[in-house]
Amino acid sequence: MYYKLPKIDYYRPKTLDEAIRLLREIDNSRVIAGGTDLLVDMKTSRVRVRALVDISSIPDLRGIEDLGRTIRIGAATRLQELIESNVVSQNLPLLKAAVESMGSWQIRNMATIGGNLCNASPAADTAPPLLAYDAEFVVIGSEGLRVIPSTKFFVGYRKTALNPCEILKEILVKKSEWSGWSYVKLGRRGGFTLSVVAVAVLAKVIDGVVYDVRIALNSVAPVPIRAYKAEEVVRGKRVSWSLIEEAANTVAGEVTPIDDVRSTSWYRREMSYQLAKDALAKALGVA
Amino acid sequence: MIVVEDPRTLIRRWLSAESCIVVGKSIERSDSLEKALGRARFVEDYLEEGYLFARLALAKAPHARIKKIDYSKALEDPKVLRVFTYRDIPGENQVGYAVPDQPLLAEGKVRYYGEAVAVVVGKDPDSVNSAVENVFLEIEPLPALFDPLEAMERGDILIHESLGSNIAFRTKVRKGDVEEGFSKADVVVENTYRTHHQEHVYLEPEAALAIPDLENRMTVIATIQYPHLGQKIVSKVLGLPSSYIKIIAPYIGGGFGGKDDEGPLVAARAALAAYHLRRPVLLYYTREDSIQTHPKREATVIKYKSGASKDGKLTAIEVTIIHDSGAYANRGPFILWRATMHASGPYYVPNAKVDGYCVYTNKVPQGSFRGFGNPSVQFAAESQMDQLAEKLGLDPVEFRLNNMLRVGSDTITGQVLTSSVGIHEALKKLSAVSNWRVKRLEYSERRTGRTRRGIGVAVAWHGNSTSRAVPDWSNSYIHISRDGSVNVYTGIVEMGQGSPSSSHRQLVSEILGCPIDKVKVVFGTTDAPDTGATHASRGTSVGAIGIVVAAGRIRSRLESFLSEYYNVQREEIKISDGVVIVGNKIKMSWEELVALAYSKGVDLSATGYFFLPKGTFDDDAGRGFAYPAFSFIAIIVEVEVDIYTGRVKVLEVHPALAIGRVINPDAVKTQVEGAIIQGIGYTLMEKLVFADDGRIVNDNLTDYVIPTSHETPVIRNAIFVEDVWDYGPFGAKGVGEMAFIPMPAAIANAVSHALGVRITELPLTPEKVYSITKQLVG
Ligand SMILES: Cc1cc2nc3c(=O)[nH]c(=O)nc-3n(C[C@H](O)[C@H](O)[C@H](O)COP(=O)(O)OP(=O)(O)OC[C@H]3O[C@@H](n4cnc5c(N)ncnc54)[C@H](O)[C@@H]3O)c2cc1C
Repeated sequence: MYYKLPKIDYYRPKTLDEAIRLLREIDNSRVIAGGTDLLVDMKTSRVRVRALVDISSIPDLRGIEDLGRTIRIGAATRLQELIESNVVSQNLPLLKAAVESMGSWQIRNMATIGGNLCNASPAADTAPPLLAYDAEFVVIGSEGLRVIPSTKFFVGYRKTALNPCEILKEILVKKSEWSGWSYVKLGRRGGFTLSVVAVAVLAKVIDGVVYDVRIALNSVAPVPIRAYKAEEVVRGKRVSWSLIEEAANTVAGEVTPIDDVRSTSWYRREMSYQLAKDALAKALGVA
Repeated sequence: MIVVEDPRTLIRRWLSAESCIVVGKSIERSDSLEKALGRARFVEDYLEEGYLFARLALAKAPHARIKKIDYSKALEDPKVLRVFTYRDIPGENQVGYAVPDQPLLAEGKVRYYGEAVAVVVGKDPDSVNSAVENVFLEIEPLPALFDPLEAMERGDILIHESLGSNIAFRTKVRKGDVEEGFSKADVVVENTYRTHHQEHVYLEPEAALAIPDLENRMTVIATIQYPHLGQKIVSKVLGLPSSYIKIIAPYIGGGFGGKDDEGPLVAARAALAAYHLRRPVLLYYTREDSIQTHPKREATVIKYKSGASKDGKLTAIEVTIIHDSGAYANRGPFILWRATMHASGPYYVPNAKVDGYCVYTNKVPQGSFRGFGNPSVQFAAESQMDQLAEKLGLDPVEFRLNNMLRVGSDTITGQVLTSSVGIHEALKKLSAVSNWRVKRLEYSERRTGRTRRGIGVAVAWHGNSTSRAVPDWSNSYIHISRDGSVNVYTGIVEMGQGSPSSSHRQLVSEILGCPIDKVKVVFGTTDAPDTGATHASRGTSVGAIGIVVAAGRIRSRLESFLSEYYNVQREEIKISDGVVIVGNKIKMSWEELVALAYSKGVDLSATGYFFLPKGTFDDDAGRGFAYPAFSFIAIIVEVEVDIYTGRVKVLEVHPALAIGRVINPDAVKTQVEGAIIQGIGYTLMEKLVFADDGRIVNDNLTDYVIPTSHETPVIRNAIFVEDVWDYGPFGAKGVGEMAFIPMPAAIANAVSHALGVRITELPLTPEKVYSITKQLVG
């Protein structure tokens, strides 16, 4: 298929300062990381830009580090690196499970975690786990650094809290002991596909009592969401099937899905219930 | 010894060949290495510096009168050279294949969203891409029709005014007396089935590179399944003799029928631009253009009533088949004929009444796609068979075997099958090998819990060659060079199926007795004699009959020459695998034989034309000859259904085929596997979504999902019943489409078995299945 991208200027800065300067100085410029979202959008003219600033070779944006109490993930870290990282599998198994469900090996070797978040698709798969972990997003612009809680990052359909010319620098997750976790994703085929609904659950169960729980979903609202009401239902209670069903019902009441080519809103709501049940059962250790 | 030139004698000689050297073996394809290394060239790879680029401007309304095509803004860019519309066509704009209803470029009216309106040509893709968006149609909108059932009834809105109706075409088959048949029935099942469109998703979207020469001749390198049809259409559009047009189909990245319909059109549109500009032009479709504009598998509504008696025999069927033809008939009438002829499934039915309607709507046209109208009607027929068996308390396999066609049976068109009917044996063996009875019982008894297992069966038949008495033939040209290397010229193309790179080489090597690496097949070109299209599973079955005849002629000349030269009987001559033995003294190599033959004046070039003998079909009576032979298949499928989500997973597929002689088992296996996976995609997930204005919403591969390796089940080795066909090369019948055809029915039957509920509408998406299983969850 002879399908060239429109002509654009391309920059590959070596430092964050330079990247920010380029974004500020060039009209209609845009960050590119792995390009697995952006290039597709440019080919179909959903996005039209004049210049691309490739941030994938800025050292400050790469890498996964265990900082003691916190895990730091550079925004331009590739998804496959997350899967292969010991730090991630030991500390953030829920994130690993979500990333394993994404794209194909080829895509994961290009795609970055920052790209997935900044693209802000309602179906983004790294969002539910990071919402559940209560991660913090460090962003940088000409005014300097600021920290945005993950729960404040997605502000609307494909919209983030980033100001123009700001770059997502890194993701910070505080370490915490979770007794169980689960990522359940339903797509239109067995793999290599966007979700119809996905549910992430983290749980801390001590002696059969839920000490803490986090529930997050994608594809059921304009942005990836936390199911706070359902969390309230579960928190502090003794684990039981009826509790799980009550929580799953609450999840189904909290979501605001739409009809699109992937699914009807009816099916999404139904699946929010079914998948929440599955995810809770596994995370609470009753499956 | 006399030379045998008669095609039938030659075909018969090789039909009975026994100990073969290469035929029947999994010989490696000659194109596998090139393709694995990325060296194989496809249309775009022939692009050279300085060639021009072109794209189509597509209509953005479903039904409208065209007042003006305004492309002045597109021409503001100096790099955009020309925009061609119907006005620029020097010959004819009319390119309908079955009926004259379709323009190459929209003229007067637009009849579907995505219809080709203009060809935009420029110096680089950037300019062309923007220019395409600057071609504007001034229109007078007309009310549009999207539902075929509504369109059939409406006389006030006409998609093709001159016809006076939206029914483009009708077909029928009649046998016996259905009233009487149903009166003898102890059980009757009646249902309405619905099937949906399918997009081909070939890896390579359509493209054509048209190169004019100084003498006004035109060479077009195109994604096309029938070069000679492309030649005919280009010649018609340009108003030039066919002899001025040369079409080349290089390697093609998948066709599945789609490039049989769109191939000649993309060639003609590129040629139109090159003709006027006198420069080479590459016309390419983006994925979105491709999905919006090219014809799809037909969507259908099938009303099916069938009856059977207590002793387990079918007594009658009454079927109404409605095809949503979209804006143009395209190949719709041929597709409808095939559906009508096959409506019974491969069973003996004493009384049958089948009516077909091909109905215009304001949607993308229907077209050729693996199975050609047959998968939808087999889905209906085979769903009926399961329900009849259930009502009769019979095992579905048993009931099918009870009614299966055999040698000597007559079909619903009244054609008596005189040979090559191996389906009874195939299903019997399949049932044993797949452990059908045990599993069927086991899963029936285990209908509890979250995941439910089911096992289903479906059989299918598929006529070889064109329906009714529509002429069909094979042809090829073979030439042996002085060094013993062999060129085979065929119009059959290589689009992944591998006939020119495997079976054709095997046939030539076997018949001539030369080593297989001496055989080079020049395929997909109008420089070869017209071989017919590479469609309808005919690349080897019909396509290679000409090769058998041409190679057989040369073999016969060589034998005759040797027998005279050495004064021996034919029986004393052996030419096999490059070694020539005459009597018990003389031994030489293939190369030596060729050199000797040349020196003594033997003609080592031959054509091999064969016109398939057929009977007649009476369209008005709905009776007569349907096909020269049928290929058969039986499939048993095991599924698992998650009743909490509605997700269906196909676990295992067992195929059994009666397709005559198997020339290359690996090649057959790849066709069977590919068709099964494509069938799973169609049945479980693929679905075009139309907006209110008829636009295809999911015109990309993010939104139109096809199966991946995740959906690929365990596919068991196929059982083969080699029920040779009298005219097939060594007795081969067609296989390419076969495994697709019963898949929707087999999966649906397995899902019904798992759930105890029947679904009559495809696709079986999780959502649709869940709407049923939700009640089972409790
Ligand atoms: C075949 C295929 C399968 C896919 N499967 C999945 C899937 O299963 N689940 C899923 O969630 N997604 C999937 N995706 C989408 C995509 O791969 C992911 O969203 C990916 O993580 C995007 O990352 P990227 O680095 O490629 O982003 P890019 O395309 O480079 O960028 C995406 C957007 O984010 C902006 N951006 C990128 N990095 C930054 C930054 N550091 N700061 C500020 N803005 C930034 C860009 O400007 C752009 O707007 C798939 C894509 C494809 C093509």
